[in-house]
Amino acid sequence: MTSVNLREPVAVAEGAAAGAVAGAPIRQAGLWRDALHRYVRNKGAVAAAVVFSLVVLYCLIAPLASPYDPTEVDFRQAYQSPSWAHPFGTDQFGRDLFTRTALGGRISIGIGFAATLAILLIGVTYGSVSGFLGGKVDNLMMRFLDALYGLPYLPFAIVALAIVGTVNFWTMVFALSIASWFTSARIVRGQIITLKENDYVRAATAVGARWHRVLGRHLLPNTLGVLIIAVFLELPGVVLGEAILSFIGLGISPPAASWGSMAEDGRDVYQIHPHIILIPSIAIATLVLCANFMADGFRDALDPRTRKS
Amino acid sequence: MTALVIRRLVWTIPVILLVILFTFLLMKQIKGNPFRHTERNVPVAIQQNLEHKFHLDQPWYVQYAYYVKGVFTFDLGPSMALRNQTVNDVVEEHFPTSLELGLFAMLFAIVVGVPLGVVSALRSNSVFDYSAMFLSNVGFAVPSFLVATLFIYFFALKWGAFFDLPTNGWSGWNSKILPSIALGLAPMAYFARLVRGSMLETLQQDYVRTAMAKGLRWRRVVLVHVLRNSLIPAVTAAGPLLGFLITGSFVIEFIFAIPGIGRYYITAVEARDYSVVMGLTVLLSVIIIVANLLVDILYGFLDPRTREARA
Amino acid sequence: MRRRSTLAIGAVALALTLLAAACGGGGSSSSGNGNGNGQEKAAAGNLASSQVITVNWGTEPPSLDPGLATDTTSSNILLNVMDPLVRLDDKLQPKPSLAQSWDVSPNGRTVTFHLRHDGRWTNGDPVTAQDFVWSWKRTISPELAADYAYQFYGVVGAQAYNACKSNCAALADKVGVSAPDKYTLKVRLTSRQPWFLQQVAHHSFLAVNKKAVDRWGSKWTEASHIVTDGPFKLARWRHDAEIDLVKWKGWRDARDVTLTRVNGKMISDGTTAVQAFEAGETDADVIGPPPDQTPRFKGRPDYQVFPALGTYYYGFNVKNIPDVNQRRAMSLAIDRQTIIDNITQANQIPAQAYVPKGMPGFATIDVKSKWLPAHGDLDQAKQLMARVKDPVKNVTLWFNNAPGHKPIAIAVQSMWKKLGLHVTLKAQDFAQYLQFLGPPPNKAVDAFRLGWIADFPDAINFLEQWTCTSGNNNTNFCDPRYDTLVKKARQTPDDNARYGIYHQLQEILMGPNGQLPFTPIYWYTYPALVKESIKGTFTINPLDSVDLTKVQVRET
Repeated sequence: MTSVNLREPVAVAEGAAAGAVAGAPIRQAGLWRDALHRYVRNKGAVAAAVVFSLVVLYCLIAPLASPYDPTEVDFRQAYQSPSWAHPFGTDQFGRDLFTRTALGGRISIGIGFAATLAILLIGVTYGSVSGFLGGKVDNLMMRFLDALYGLPYLPFAIVALAIVGTVNFWTMVFALSIASWFTSARIVRGQIITLKENDYVRAATAVGARWHRVLGRHLLPNTLGVLIIAVFLELPGVVLGEAILSFIGLGISPPAASWGSMAEDGRDVYQIHPHIILIPSIAIATLVLCANFMADGFRDALDPRTRKS
Repeated sequence: MTALVIRRLVWTIPVILLVILFTFLLMKQIKGNPFRHTERNVPVAIQQNLEHKFHLDQPWYVQYAYYVKGVFTFDLGPSMALRNQTVNDVVEEHFPTSLELGLFAMLFAIVVGVPLGVVSALRSNSVFDYSAMFLSNVGFAVPSFLVATLFIYFFALKWGAFFDLPTNGWSGWNSKILPSIALGLAPMAYFARLVRGSMLETLQQDYVRTAMAKGLRWRRVVLVHVLRNSLIPAVTAAGPLLGFLITGSFVIEFIFAIPGIGRYYITAVEARDYSVVMGLTVLLSVIIIVANLLVDILYGFLDPRTREARA
Repeated sequence: MRRRSTLAIGAVALALTLLAAACGGGGSSSSGNGNGNGQEKAAAGNLASSQVITVNWGTEPPSLDPGLATDTTSSNILLNVMDPLVRLDDKLQPKPSLAQSWDVSPNGRTVTFHLRHDGRWTNGDPVTAQDFVWSWKRTISPELAADYAYQFYGVVGAQAYNACKSNCAALADKVGVSAPDKYTLKVRLTSRQPWFLQQVAHHSFLAVNKKAVDRWGSKWTEASHIVTDGPFKLARWRHDAEIDLVKWKGWRDARDVTLTRVNGKMISDGTTAVQAFEAGETDADVIGPPPDQTPRFKGRPDYQVFPALGTYYYGFNVKNIPDVNQRRAMSLAIDRQTIIDNITQANQIPAQAYVPKGMPGFATIDVKSKWLPAHGDLDQAKQLMARVKDPVKNVTLWFNNAPGHKPIAIAVQSMWKKLGLHVTLKAQDFAQYLQFLGPPPNKAVDAFRLGWIADFPDAINFLEQWTCTSGNNNTNFCDPRYDTLVKKARQTPDDNARYGIYHQLQEILMGPNGQLPFTPIYWYTYPALVKESIKGTFTINPLDSVDLTKVQVRET
């Protein structure tokens, strides 16, 4: 997942940091207002944000409003094509797919965000330690990252899933993040280095400000913008990764279902009942597309350097 | 430059050792008996014979030592599930297929993606640009398993008589078309976006404006200067793209029944064939490590700025 | 591999504990012809000019070394490229193959095979009794570390040699296999074992060519090295992709073999395999269509279902669900026919007992027994449930994470819900799952799914699984009465008397007063896709084996 967009975020992140830091301590609020302003001007990103929110809302609300029990088995209702009663049709067990797709979305999006945050957390920890300690330790830790940069996460995820045996929400998050944090670690470390050498921080350190004050008051707030970009850059990969694992039979265990495992269910019958594989696949594609556009939007908004002229 | 290369080379060894250790410790955590393939229990004496044969009756650090020694002498040990094959055999048998698939996919991605990006940049904000970028965004977002499934359905089954493409396998030239395109689609979209972005940036550089002001033919400026400089990011993206291809190949090989390492990896994990899983993981990691090394060196040559900075 | 080996773990193994005890002969076997439509007469039509077919075996044969192979695919290839001493006929009875005849001593402990003199290896050497002596000892040897060495534990001295830590050479000499002359093979057994002849049909008992093994070591099974002695030769083997066999003209009965070439594919994914069949890339697909796709094929002439000897069942952990009334209620609440009609799809038979229909002595079981109605009996189940003093309301149902099991578990979950049970489903990957089930099973297991495929055609193979000490009894069920009856059955040589005991055993398991340590769901079938041109000659026998010498391509 991290393999995509790899070089881009590094440059972007560092650029964003530089831009943000320049005026950071003084006009924090103004900066965010400007960013919002810039984001709103990007029509694609706005549309993506709207669709993204609609999808999330659908996932949250549809199961509550649905007249159908998503676990009720009734073979007489099996494999119905989309209709007014069942906008997305029904599955092998006669369960309403409009409701189940929303439930699957909760899991897919939930895993997506949880794994993305886990990846960033590991990356931030590793990157900050490396960036702060500097010197030989930093050198060592970075050589390691340089070498493993772009390592495919999938083999490690498959092994991780074999270790946990039962696949549930959190074990899936574990599997998806275990070998995916190399990039975010690199970004954060670059960020920290840039900030460390920033005049303001230097000055603060020179007059004897404690490191956690520097970190809390100046560094972290300035990193927030980069993190928002990073979340939406990571998310598509993680969502697709979960789908791939589900598709090759390593997905989350029933009765829970994600979009990936629903697509897997649909593969066997795609010639007779194409809606079963198409609906979750389209849902995944929509989510990924929106996240990509939003990442672009956030990047343009939070990083003045790459703004379109 | 030479010093840099040597330093990087020396560094790869401890990294490889760490990767082996990491993989090894992960593997040790997996429960399950590699010698029990069915619901029937394995008799004790037979289990002991098997464990002895594969050194599994030794402490873990001894096993690790055996393994490291094996890796550095290019002997990845015997397979536990395929009793007449070694891991080296598995690699020799499956790796060329995966490599070929990856190369064809990459070829497709470059041949289609780069021109798409160049034209989009040259006609930025045109209808062509918008539709190309939208398509590449979509190509990037649609899960590869859906793409592969639709490809098989339309080009091999429904219009199979017309296209004459097989539904699966990797033997004749025509069996290689669908999987290569299915795997190459996302990198293609990636290349298109990347090249477009860096082209737009390069076009605004002072030296491009200068070259144009000098009256050289515009098209030549673009081709010689801009394109070359715009491709630098594409080169640096090669490493991560490799990882991306490897990930994608797991699905593509699964759906197209291609005898590559991606498909076999899943089988090996299910069968608890520890030695094969270890071997393939280490192999993939080493490939990535070497690719990163090459990219960094190449980057150093291509981009004078980093060459100076690193010297 | 994904489809078949997980649903129907098809290793044609022999349960180890059996070999130690004596019991009456294999007996008269029924054909095992269930409600399948696989046994149709050979298609009319003339022989086609091309006798080349392409078969999807579903997976790479993990080993073509008879000593090391443990799975159906390897077994299928091996039994077509090698020449076994005996083969099983349609009724699963032994008939001469390389051995033209055999004698059994009065006490049943010595079996002497008389080999044909025209057996040949592909390198021109004759196949001799000494080849078998050497091959069998090789498989038993601890150095080879063969999974199936225990197949030989019924032979005098084999177990000691297999487990030896020192003095191995001397122990090897004591193994009761010898060749008094070039074409006579003498086997001494530890006890009377009437099923030994059926057992010898298993691929573990094939001979290997010593020259090839000595020359090439573990690589002797590669296509360029292998020396075989059967109707087909290995022409090409691209691992994990293709395995091609060609007719060997030097085989002793080559004139009876019609096919000239059999190209093998290894497409494990059911959907991919179906696509290949529909595109005409394969002529036969032994893994069959995935259940969900089956309705599309039902009634088509190229869809076939062959009877199998196997049972898919749900086990209970009797320590967690101690009340037999609850177990019976859960068993009766399952509508087996609905599961078959809507999920498994391949004309499986709703299991009314454990031993599958078609097993000798069990041909009419479905008429005799009304223990488990095909559609269940929800009313009675509810009544029984009401009688349970301390019902276990929260049940955790485990299954392995392979295609096919999940839908059944979801259906059973909803059926048990009608009893007021809250069922939690848990899936694990197969290797870990097996370890998790023990025996004894992990405490978290209340109910679980497993299957059992016959190793050889005698019901003891199924029933002795439920003794207290069985390595395959994952239920914690232990009844001394049951164990005593199993012992008695082993000492009963008369077929009908023994079948009577088998029925008593089944009654203890699931009769009106039975213990129900598990509940069977259905009896397996082998669905397959077979082109009309080879339909009728291409069959899968109840032990999941395909005899390619009988296959002919006809004009349609």
